[in-house]
Amino acid sequence: MPLVNNKVGDDCTVGTDKALVDGKAQVDSLIKVVACYRHLASYVGGCTDSLQLRDELRQTREKALTLAVSICNHLTSHLRNKSLPEGQRKEMELLWVAFSSSLELLHVDMCKVFNISDIFSLANTDALVQTGLQGGGSEVAARALSLPDLNLAPNPTLSAGLESQERSTMEQEISQMDHMIDDMEMKVNVMRWMVEPHGPQYAEVLSSSDSASLALLSVDEEQPGHQPPCQRSHIHVLLLLFAVVLVAATLSVCIIFFT
Amino acid sequence: MSLITVLSPMTSHFQARSFGSMLVALGYIYPLQDHKRLVIKPDASLYRFQTPYFWPTQQWPVEDTDYAIYLAKRNIRKKGILELHEQEHYNRLHKWMNHKWDFIVMQAKEQYRAAKERKKPDRVVFDCQERAYWVVHRPPPGTVSAMDYGLDRLIDPNADEVTGESLLVKYCATYNSHDPFLSKCLPSNPWLTDDVTYWTLNMPYVEMPTKMRVERWTFSFAELLSDPRGRNDFRLFLKKEFSGENLAFWESCEDLKWGEAATMSEKAEHIYKTFLARGAPRWINIDGKTMEITVKGLKHPHRYVLDAAQTHIYMLMKKDSYGRYQKSPVFKETVKKAICPEEHHFTDAQLEQNAKKRRPSLSPIILRQMEQEQRAKMAATVDITQLCRFTTPVPHLAVYSGITDFPSANASPSLPFLAHSPACPSPISVALDSTSASERRVEAGEGEGEGNPAAQAAAGGNVSKSRMALSLHRLLKRGCTPATMFASLSPKCHSAAGTSSRIQPISPDQPSQAPPRRIGNFFQIKVDIPPECRIYPIESEDEDEENRAASRGGVGAKEIICPWESLTPQNGTG
Repeated sequence: MPLVNNKVGDDCTVGTDKALVDGKAQVDSLIKVVACYRHLASYVGGCTDSLQLRDELRQTREKALTLAVSICNHLTSHLRNKSLPEGQRKEMELLWVAFSSSLELLHVDMCKVFNISDIFSLANTDALVQTGLQGGGSEVAARALSLPDLNLAPNPTLSAGLESQERSTMEQEISQMDHMIDDMEMKVNVMRWMVEPHGPQYAEVLSSSDSASLALLSVDEEQPGHQPPCQRSHIHVLLLLFAVVLVAATLSVCIIFFT
Repeated sequence: MSLITVLSPMTSHFQARSFGSMLVALGYIYPLQDHKRLVIKPDASLYRFQTPYFWPTQQWPVEDTDYAIYLAKRNIRKKGILELHEQEHYNRLHKWMNHKWDFIVMQAKEQYRAAKERKKPDRVVFDCQERAYWVVHRPPPGTVSAMDYGLDRLIDPNADEVTGESLLVKYCATYNSHDPFLSKCLPSNPWLTDDVTYWTLNMPYVEMPTKMRVERWTFSFAELLSDPRGRNDFRLFLKKEFSGENLAFWESCEDLKWGEAATMSEKAEHIYKTFLARGAPRWINIDGKTMEITVKGLKHPHRYVLDAAQTHIYMLMKKDSYGRYQKSPVFKETVKKAICPEEHHFTDAQLEQNAKKRRPSLSPIILRQMEQEQRAKMAATVDITQLCRFTTPVPHLAVYSGITDFPSANASPSLPFLAHSPACPSPISVALDSTSASERRVEAGEGEGEGNPAAQAAAGGNVSKSRMALSLHRLLKRGCTPATMFASLSPKCHSAAGTSSRIQPISPDQPSQAPPRRIGNFFQIKVDIPPECRIYPIESEDEDEENRAASRGGVGAKEIICPWESLTPQNGTG
C-alpha cells in the first residue's frame, strides 16, 4: 500500500491512509474468518457434526458479522467522501471489492449451513453421513476467532428449543447480511471493471511472514511422529472396508443364485 | 459398489450398478482411486460419501469464484500441479474476474492455512472431497457422465466403448471406400463430371446392382434391408427357404410404424390375422413372452405395438437368415452378375459438354410411378412357393394381401395351423400365374398400384391350384377386400384339402414341376395378358365348388378372429 509522502502533513490524507490500513487489516481478518467458516461448514452433516461444531459455527459467524458491519460502515463512509484523492479511492475500491466478495461467500456458506443443518438434525446422529473424517473443527474455529485455544463451555445439551432458536438466529443473520449487501450496492457505486488488482496471478507458496504459519510449519515437522497411529487407523479402515466388500460380494452371489 | 449392494439387496446387480453410477456421476459418492473417472467399477475399489456441503441436491450455483479459489489453492500447495484444462480455466478466470483477483488469492491463502490447522488425515479427506466436487462440476474434457440420458447415452463405461474410437474408426474404415467424395466413385461422381451414369446405375430397383452396392449389403443386415434392391434379393432367398413370412412381417411392421394413422388399427388387425394368430396363414415363430406382450398390446393398437415382435424377428433374420443368405447361391449369383462400371476419363472439352447437357432429373411423380411399376414387375416374379406380399404400403388397406403359404393344411379342417412346415406344398399356394396376374391387374385396377403377391404353384404342388386361383379370382371380381379373401381363404384351404383328390385332373395349364426360375419367366410373360385371355380350366365345374367354398368361407371367416373383437366378427373389415 503506497503511503503518501506528504511533507505538508495533510491531516485528511494521513487520516485516510490510516483508514486504509485499518480497512485492509479488517478485510484481511474477515477473509480469514470466512475461509475458516467454509472449512467448518464442510463438516456439517458429516459424521463429525456435533453440537460443538454448531457452536463453533455460530461463534465464527458472529465474529464475521461484527467485522462485516464495522468494515461496511468504515468503507461506506470513506467512499461516499467525495474529497477522497484518486489513489486512495482506488485502494478503497479494491478493499470494497474484496469485502463484497467475502460477504457473498459468507452469505452462501451461511445459507448452505442453514439448509444442511435443517436436513441433518443432530437429534438423529445415525443419519449423519460417513464422510471419513475423524476430528472436529476446533482448531479451525480457534484460528477463526484468533484464540490460541478454544475454551469451550461444557457441551450444551441438545433440546428442541435450542435448535429452533439457532435456526431463527441464523435466519435473522442471513437477512441482515442480505440487507447489508443491498445497502452497500445502493449507497456506494463501485465500478468493478475499473478496479485493478495488485497481486500476482498465481498465489505464492506459503510465506513465512504469517506468524500462524510458523507454528504450522513446526507442527508439520512433528507429523512424522504422528504417522504410525494415522497409518494404523488407516489400515483398520481399509480392513473394515474389505470385510464389508467381502460380505457384500457373498450377499450378491447369494442373490444371483437364488433369483 | 459394495455399499450399494448392501443397501439394496432386493434389486438386481445391474440395477444396483446403474444406481451406483448415477450416484457417483452426480457427486454423492466419489472414488478414492482414479478420481477423475466418476464410474462405479465392478471391483473392490473404494468409494466414500461426499460431505453434504458438496452435495448437488439443492442445486446451489457452482460459482466460478470458488473454482478460481480452489485452483489457486492447489497451486499454492504445489506449483505447477494444475492440469492443462485447469490451467486454461484459471487463465480465463483471471481475465474475467480480474477485479477480484486479489481477493481470490488472499482467500485461497487463508483457506490453505485454515486447512493446515486440521489434522493430516482430515485434511486429506477434505482435499479429496473438494477435488471430487470439482471433478463433477468442472469435469476434465472428454468425460463421460452417467447423467447423460437419451439415445446418446453411453451405457458401458469400458474405455474403448466410451471413447467410441473403435466404433467410429471401424465405421470409417469400412465405409471409406464407398464414399463418393472420399474415394473414387465409379464411373464418375455426377456432381463433379455432370454425367449421371452413377445415379442411373444405382437406382433403387435396378436389375443389376453395382459391385459396390452388393458389397455394402455384406456390411450389415440393416444395410441390406435398407437398400430396396438388396431387400428384394433377400426376399428371393427367403422364398427359397420358405421363411418369407419373417421379412413380410417385418415389412408390415415398418408399414404400421410409418404409415398413416387412420388405417393403423386396420393394419394392426390384419397383421395379427395374417401373422400372429393361431392358425394364421403366415404364422411367424416368436417366443411365448413376446407373443403375449404383443397380443396384449394389440387390444389398444398404436404405432409401436409390434415393436417387440418386430425386433425379435429382425434379430432372428439377422442372426440366422442373413448368414445363410450370404452363402446362398442367390447371393452368389447376384455378386457374379453385379456390374463394375469403368471409370470415366473426361477431357475438359467433354466436361464442358456434359455441363451443357445438364438436365433436371425426373420429377418425383414420375419416379414414384416408375417405382410402382417396378414393384408390379417384382410382384410378377414372385416365387411360387411362397406367397409373400409386397412392400408397397397400401393407402387404405393392409398390405398383407399375400395369399399364403399354408402349413400342413392336410390336417383336419378344424385344427388351426400350428407350425409352418416349409416342405409342405401349400394347397393354396395356388394361384395360377394367370390368376395372379389377374389379381394383380384387378388390384392395380383398383388403383392401388400394388403388385399383389401372386400365389404361385409350388414346385411340387399339384393340388387344387387352379381351383383356388379361380376362387380367388372370383372373390376379387366380386370386389372383396383381401381381408375377406384371407379369412375365407383359410377355411377354403381346408375344403380344398378335403377335395384335393378330386381336383387333380383340373390343372392343365402349367407345368407344376417346372423349376421356379422357368416359372418366373413364364409368369413374366403372362403379366401382359389381359384377363380375358386367360387360359382357364373349365370354369363351370368350379362354379358349385366355389359356392360351397364361399359358404364355407362365410363360416370360416369366423375362424380367425382377433381376441379383442367380439365373437361376431365383422368379416375382416377391421
